[in-house]
Amino acid sequence: MTVAEPASRPSTEGLAVATQGLVKRYGQRAAVAGLDLHVPRGMVYGFLGPNGSGKTTTLRLLVGMARPDAGSIELLGEPYSWRDRRRLFRVGALIEQPSFYPYLSGRDNLRVFGAAGPPTPKHRAEEVLGFVGLRDRAGDKVKTYSLGMKQRLGIAAALLSDPELLLLDEPANGLDPGGIVAMRELLRFLTSQGKTVLVSSHILPEMEQMADVVGIIAAGRLVREGPLASILDQGTSVRVRVLESDVGRALVILAALSPSVEQTAAGGSEGPRWVSMRVAPDQASEVNRALAQGGVFASGLETGNDLETVFLSLTGPGTSDEGQPGPPPGWGQPGGQAG
Amino acid sequence: MRLLAAEMLKLRRRWASYLVLAILIGLMALIYLLVGSTAGSDPTGASTVLRFPNSYGFINQFVFGLGSLLAVAYAAAIGGSDWNWGVFRVIVARGESRSRYVIIKFVAVAIFLVIGILIAYAAGIALTLLAATMSGVSVGDPLSGGGREDLARSIGFGSLVVAERAALGFAVAMLLRSQLAGVVTGIVLFIGEQILATVILFTTLSSSGTGFGGGLQPIGPEWFQFLPFSIGDSVLSQAPSIGGGPVTLLLNPVPLELGIAVTVMYLLGSLAIGALSAERTQISG
Repeated sequence: MTVAEPASRPSTEGLAVATQGLVKRYGQRAAVAGLDLHVPRGMVYGFLGPNGSGKTTTLRLLVGMARPDAGSIELLGEPYSWRDRRRLFRVGALIEQPSFYPYLSGRDNLRVFGAAGPPTPKHRAEEVLGFVGLRDRAGDKVKTYSLGMKQRLGIAAALLSDPELLLLDEPANGLDPGGIVAMRELLRFLTSQGKTVLVSSHILPEMEQMADVVGIIAAGRLVREGPLASILDQGTSVRVRVLESDVGRALVILAALSPSVEQTAAGGSEGPRWVSMRVAPDQASEVNRALAQGGVFASGLETGNDLETVFLSLTGPGTSDEGQPGPPPGWGQPGGQAG
Repeated sequence: MRLLAAEMLKLRRRWASYLVLAILIGLMALIYLLVGSTAGSDPTGASTVLRFPNSYGFINQFVFGLGSLLAVAYAAAIGGSDWNWGVFRVIVARGESRSRYVIIKFVAVAIFLVIGILIAYAAGIALTLLAATMSGVSVGDPLSGGGREDLARSIGFGSLVVAERAALGFAVAMLLRSQLAGVVTGIVLFIGEQILATVILFTTLSSSGTGFGGGLQPIGPEWFQFLPFSIGDSVLSQAPSIGGGPVTLLLNPVPLELGIAVTVMYLLGSLAIGALSAERTQISG
């Protein structure tokens, strides 16, 4: 489902989060510029976007850290304003980096957080420490924790009030592969209990494995939203690998087959490069033939549909932190933009 | 109550709570050792600081003078660190009332300060006894005569003034949303206001011609005695046996009831500003 200019207010029944025309400006810059988000209940919603696209700002608006300049929010089926703090008793959140009192133990941090907001049973801290596998180190001071452990403790803190809706901002940051798998299983368990999880991330393979529904945001606007499977269907592509010296010719040849041809990945300044185009997979042989007839011989050809292709086609490669187009390929190149 | 208990737990586990008290008692101990070791050569001077109830004035100079400065820094550090560590956003995201959280946090700080005052005061009495023993001066009975009342009034008035000054530092840190900026600004305001009040006092005395030329007759109360950090001096100067320093020798203190009322007003006003600031702040990073 592509969300462009909403003509009428859609039904929000069955949604854990719904926003309409949400706007948040910082000075002249609109961090969120008319966002229409629809997060179904009982699912993992992957909220994707490049750095600076407005993901974290949106989450801040959802938990009352910041006040929207325009638009509306429905949280758990009812209109929500930033003063409506009691609604947040049913929401758990990990926004930005996990934050704790460094001189307290992990367990004591959960105890003091549990004292704020909704009433939280004393045994709940132990329970959530078990969920994230931190019981053994719960007595240690947080300042001795690794980034991954802090991240896990942050997720535990978000789960303290047994929330119906969980908002996680880049939760996989700092987690090792085992931690990521464990987090995925935990989120699956939560959705199996009827809870809703909204996960923001720019790590696409992770989202591909985790999310049921995705929303892609760029420059503060939702550019695509829907079930992951249907989004992936739209991302069918053919990628060919050609020599650096043949890239220009390949782009010209392939432009005759598809208007959406672009040079995508780059491993370095020299050697083979990938050229990607959006065509049906059954056109792969046609692509290969056209290249050969044009005197360009591909050293590799792949067809597939992945979230990265969809994401890049919607947000553009090299989107800068301000949500403006940045340098094209070459994030890994000297002088290129790093992530 | 659970929020207050959580705040008390945080303060109990924080080294700054003990460091502030250790600095205060440590400096007091150094001075008392100095007094104790030199008192033999000046028995008259020693008896003014080592004989109760006069000793209360000497203790008060430390506990409520230096103690106020430390309290401003301590309260600012506690108020500002929630912003530095980013934990305030966790509290907000849990749906806790921002103003309730801020007020309860200060209540916990105030409780700790009063406990600190009691410990420092007990240490001051113990150090007086020690220094008197060292110098062979008769210390007297701390609770005889008006001693009991002196003690109660000193601790009562002193706690109020220290809490008010701490509230000012706390509010500054909440406004600036920074631990370091809060501590530095709080200390600068505290010392700056004392310097400013002294400058204004001498300017007033020299321009009125009633001060130095008038046989050091105290003037006032003057308007600058009502400034946030200065009002406490008037309250403290009316606790028995407290020497208020050269400024209060030249100034009539603000009447006690009015001084207490203004001090309480500043305390509540500071808390209101801190709470209002937290309520209105948008957390953007």
